[in-house]
Amino acid sequence: MNRRPGFLVYGLLTAFVLGSCAPLYWSFLVGSHSREVLTERVPPLLPGGHFLDNAQRAFDAVPFWKALGNSLLVSTTVATSVVLFSTLAGFAFAKLAFKGRTPLLVFVVATLAVPTQLGVIPLFIVMAELGWVGSMWALIVPGMVTAFGVFFMRQYLVDAVPDELIEAARVDGCSMLRTFWNVAVPAARPAAAILWLFTFMATWTDFFWPLIVLPASNPTVQIALQQLQSGYYVDYSLVLAGAAISTLPLLALFVLTGRQLVAGIMQGAVKG
Amino acid sequence: MTLDSPAVSPVGDGGDPERVTAAPAGAGSPLRGRRPSPWRRRLSRWDARLSPYLYISPFFLLFLLVGMFPLLYTAFVSVHEWSLLGGQGDYAGLDNYRRVLEDRYFWNALRNTVSIFLLSSVPQVLIALVLAGLLDTQLRGRTLWRMSVLVPFVVAPAAVALIFGNVFGDRYGLVNEALQAIGLSPIAWHVDTLASHVAIASMVNWRWTGYNALIFLAAMQAVPRELYESASLDGAGRVRQFVSVTLPMIRPTLLFVIITSTIGGLQIFAEPRLFDTQGLGGSDRQYQTMTMYLWELGWRVRDLGMASAVAWLLFLIIVLFALVNLLISRRVGTLGGRR
Amino acid sequence: MALTLTMTAAACGGDSEGATTEDGKIKLTVATFNEFGYEELIEEYNAMQDEVVVEQKKAGTANEHQDNLYTKLAAGSGLSDIEAIEVDWWSALMEQSDAFVDLSDPEVEGRWLDWKTEAATTPDGALIGYGTDIGPEAICYRSDLFKKAGMPTDRDEVAKLFGTWDDYFEAGREFVDKVPGTAWYDSSGGTAQAMINQVEYSFEEEDNTVIAADNPEVKEVFETVTTNAADGLSTGLTQWSEDWTASFQNDGFATMACPGWMLGVIEGNADGIEGWDIANVFPGGGGNWGGSYLTVPAQGEHTEKAKELAKWLTAPEQQVKAFEAKGTFPSQVEALEDPALTGSTSAFFNDAPTGEILADRAEAVPFIAHKGPKFADINTAFQQAIQRVDEGKESADEAWQSFLADVERLG
Repeated sequence: MNRRPGFLVYGLLTAFVLGSCAPLYWSFLVGSHSREVLTERVPPLLPGGHFLDNAQRAFDAVPFWKALGNSLLVSTTVATSVVLFSTLAGFAFAKLAFKGRTPLLVFVVATLAVPTQLGVIPLFIVMAELGWVGSMWALIVPGMVTAFGVFFMRQYLVDAVPDELIEAARVDGCSMLRTFWNVAVPAARPAAAILWLFTFMATWTDFFWPLIVLPASNPTVQIALQQLQSGYYVDYSLVLAGAAISTLPLLALFVLTGRQLVAGIMQGAVKG
Repeated sequence: MTLDSPAVSPVGDGGDPERVTAAPAGAGSPLRGRRPSPWRRRLSRWDARLSPYLYISPFFLLFLLVGMFPLLYTAFVSVHEWSLLGGQGDYAGLDNYRRVLEDRYFWNALRNTVSIFLLSSVPQVLIALVLAGLLDTQLRGRTLWRMSVLVPFVVAPAAVALIFGNVFGDRYGLVNEALQAIGLSPIAWHVDTLASHVAIASMVNWRWTGYNALIFLAAMQAVPRELYESASLDGAGRVRQFVSVTLPMIRPTLLFVIITSTIGGLQIFAEPRLFDTQGLGGSDRQYQTMTMYLWELGWRVRDLGMASAVAWLLFLIIVLFALVNLLISRRVGTLGGRR
Repeated sequence: MALTLTMTAAACGGDSEGATTEDGKIKLTVATFNEFGYEELIEEYNAMQDEVVVEQKKAGTANEHQDNLYTKLAAGSGLSDIEAIEVDWWSALMEQSDAFVDLSDPEVEGRWLDWKTEAATTPDGALIGYGTDIGPEAICYRSDLFKKAGMPTDRDEVAKLFGTWDDYFEAGREFVDKVPGTAWYDSSGGTAQAMINQVEYSFEEEDNTVIAADNPEVKEVFETVTTNAADGLSTGLTQWSEDWTASFQNDGFATMACPGWMLGVIEGNADGIEGWDIANVFPGGGGNWGGSYLTVPAQGEHTEKAKELAKWLTAPEQQVKAFEAKGTFPSQVEALEDPALTGSTSAFFNDAPTGEILADRAEAVPFIAHKGPKFADINTAFQQAIQRVDEGKESADEAWQSFLADVERLG
C-alpha cells in the first residue's frame, strides 16, 4: 500500500494549518504588546516583550489559578464521563438487539434538536432546587452524557465492530459487559479518543451556562476571561493575553496526549 | 424514520432481517453455550435482555433529571401569556404560535438561518472530507498535523469575537484594507445581507471544519486497508479509491456529521450574536437567526410565551430538516450502489 | 449510573457556594457591569467590619448583566444580594417592584438629586433603588482638529458656540467644509440619543401610552440627524462597534456628546491621541444620559445586611471616591459640592476641571426624561432606523416607515 503523500498534500495542509493557527498567533501577538501598539495602522508581526506583564495583570485582576483548576476539574470529569456512558449506550444501540431500539435512538437524536437558549430558565430552576447553583456540579452533571456522544459512538461502532466478533465472544460465554470490554472498547478507541478531546475542549470553552450559574469568586477560565473585559473600553492586550493563557493548558494537553490520541486513532483499524 | 436502515448503514445490523426477527425472543436465544447448564443459560439470557437497557439508561436518567423539565416547561409556557419578569398570565391556546407565524421577523430569521446554514454546512462538510482524506495518509509528523487542524476549536470565544470583528470591520477591517490595497472596493460586511452571511459562515467554518475532519478521520482509520490494496490492484487511482472505497465505508459517520451539523447550523447563535456589539443581527436584522430572534423575544421584548412558541417551532423545523437530510442520504446511498 | 448517584449524593454534602464563609461571616455579592469604581470601596468595607465579606461580580457588558438579571428574576433565585440596574431598563423592573426590597429609610432622605429619587419611588411610596451615578452631558471635542478648521480652541470660547442644537450643527457644517475626511460628531445614534434624552415624553406618555409614532419631537430628532448625516456631519458609524472604536484613532470625528462616564471611554479608546478637551456646555440646556441604581432583590437571604451595604456604597463620601477611581459622576447632592469632586481635573482632557464642569452640567438638567417600560425596546428600533439610513440600506422616509411598523409591532 503506497499512500505516501506528495508536495500537493503538504502544501494544502500547510495552508489550512496556517489559516487555523493564525488567529491564535494573533492573540498571542496582541497579548505580548502594550496597548499603544494596537492603534498603529500596520500591526507588528513579531511578538513584543510585554506578554509577562500583561499575563501578570490578568492574574492580578481575576482568580486565574482557581479558574484553571475549576476548568480542569470540570472538563476532565465531563469528558471522561461522556466517553464512558456514550460508548456503553452507543454499543447497545449499534450492536445489541432490544425492544424499542430504533424509537429510543430516534428519541436520543431528537433531543439534539431542542434549542438550548430557552432551556436556561427551567434548567436554572432545576439547579436551584438541587442546591447546585454556584458549585461545579451545575456544570458537571448536565454534561455527563450527551445525545451527541451517544449518537457519535453508535454511528462509529455500527461499522467498526463486526457482528461476528460479538457473536464469537458470546459463544465463548462472555458476559455482555465482558463482550463490551473485550470487543467494543478496543474498537471504539479512536472514536473515544476524539470524543474525549472534543468534549474536553467544548467544556473548556463553554461560556453561556457557566456565566449564569457561577459566582465571580469561583469561576471557570472563560468566566474569568470575561471579567477582564469589564469596563468602558476593552483593553485588548490584557484580554488577549488572558485568552492566550487560557489556551495554554489545552495546547499542553495536545502535546502531552497528542501521541496517545493519534495512536488510538491508528490502532482503530479493525482488520476485517 | 429509521436511522439504521440498510441504505444508511452498509454493514448494517438492524438491516439484517434475521437479527430483527430474533430480537423479540432475546438476542441470547440463537447462541449456543458450550456447557448448557440451565442456570448459566438463564443468567446469560437475562444478561442479554437487560444489558442494553442498562447501558442506555444513564442518558435517559440524566435526560429525566435535566432535559425533561425544561422541555415540558417550555411547552407549558408556550400556550400561556407569559411575561419574562411578570410570570404566568392567562391560558392562550395556540395564540403565541399564531402571533409568531404572523410576525415578519420570524420569517426573516428563518430565511437568514437557512442561508447561513447552507453557506456554512455544505462547504464545511466537503472541505472536512477532503482534509480528512489528506490526513489519512502516511504523513511525516502526523500528530502535529492532526492536532493543528483542531486549534480553532480551542480558541476562547472572547478571542474569536474580537478577532473576527477586527477582520471583518466595514471601514477599518483587515479584509477591506487588503481589498483596497489591491485596488478593489471594500465590502460592507455588516450591512449587506449576503456579505454578512458569508462573514458569519466563515467564522463558523473556521471553527468547525477541523473538528469535522477529525471525526471523518477517525472513521476513515477504521476502513480496512486491504480494501484499498485490492482497489489499487484493480487500477483505481487515489481519487477513485476515495470515492468508491472511503466514502461508502464511512457512510454512518457521514450521516452523523450531516445530521449534527444540520442541527447545530440551524441553532446557530454565538457567531451572529457576537458579530456586532448590539447582538440583534444588524440594523435591518439582516443576520438575525432563529435563536437570536428567540432570545430577542424572550430577553428584550420579555415575552416568554412567544419565545417558547418559537423554541417549539424551531424544534419542529430542525426535525423536518433532519428528516429531509435522511431521505436525501438514503436516496444517494441507493443510487451510489451499495457493495 | 452508579457514578451519577454517588456524585449526586456527594454534591448534596455541601460543596456548593454557600451564603456564609468558612469563618462564619456572611457573604454578600454585588453584581455590577462596566465600571462602578467599587473595587477599593469593597476592600475598605471588608476591612472596617467583621460581620460580612463582600464580593463583586462584574459582567463583561451591560447586555450580559441584563440577561443574567432577567434570567434569575424569571427563575426566582440566583440573584446577587445587590444588583446594579441601569436607568434604561429601570422602568421594566419598576413594574416588578415586588421583587425588590423597599429601601426607604429616614437616614437617606434628601441624599440624592430629587429626580433621581423620584424615578426610583413606586406609586405607593416604596424606594426600590439607591442612586449611584448620573450622566450629566457636556460636549467633548478635539482642540487640535478645531485649530485645523480655524475654530476657537479654548474651552470657554468653544462653549459659547454650542448654545443650541442648531448652533452646534451649524458649527459642524463649517467644520466639515474645512476639514474634509473628518466628521463633526461620532455617530448619528449617539447624537439622537442625546437629543431624545432632552424630550420629557419622547416615546411614551406619563401613563406609558406609546406615542412614539405621532410625537413630532421624535420625528424632528429623526429628521435632524438623518439630514446631518447626509451633509457629512456624522461618521455614519454605530456606537460601540469595532469601526467606531477604531475611529477614535483615525481622526474620525471632532466632537461628541459626553456624559461623565463617557470620559473614561474616550480616554481608553483615544489612548495616545492628544488634543481632547471638554466644554462646559450642552446644546439645548442640560441633559442626562445613563446612570444607575443599586437594588436589593427580595429573593436574597440577607436583605438587611445588603441594604446596609448599599446604603454605605451610595453615601456621598463613597461615591466621590468612586468618581475619583473611575469617573462615575455621583447623584448625591452633597457629593456635588465636595471639594474632592469640584476640584478634580483630567490630564487627558487638557487639565480641564472635569469635576466642576460636570457638576455645572448636572445642575443644568431641567428634568429627567420619562422612560416607561417600552422605552428600551422602542429606542432600539429608533436607533436601528437611524443606522439603516447611515448605512444606506434605506432612505430616511423608508426607515421612518419601518420604524413606525416596528413601534406597531411592539404594541
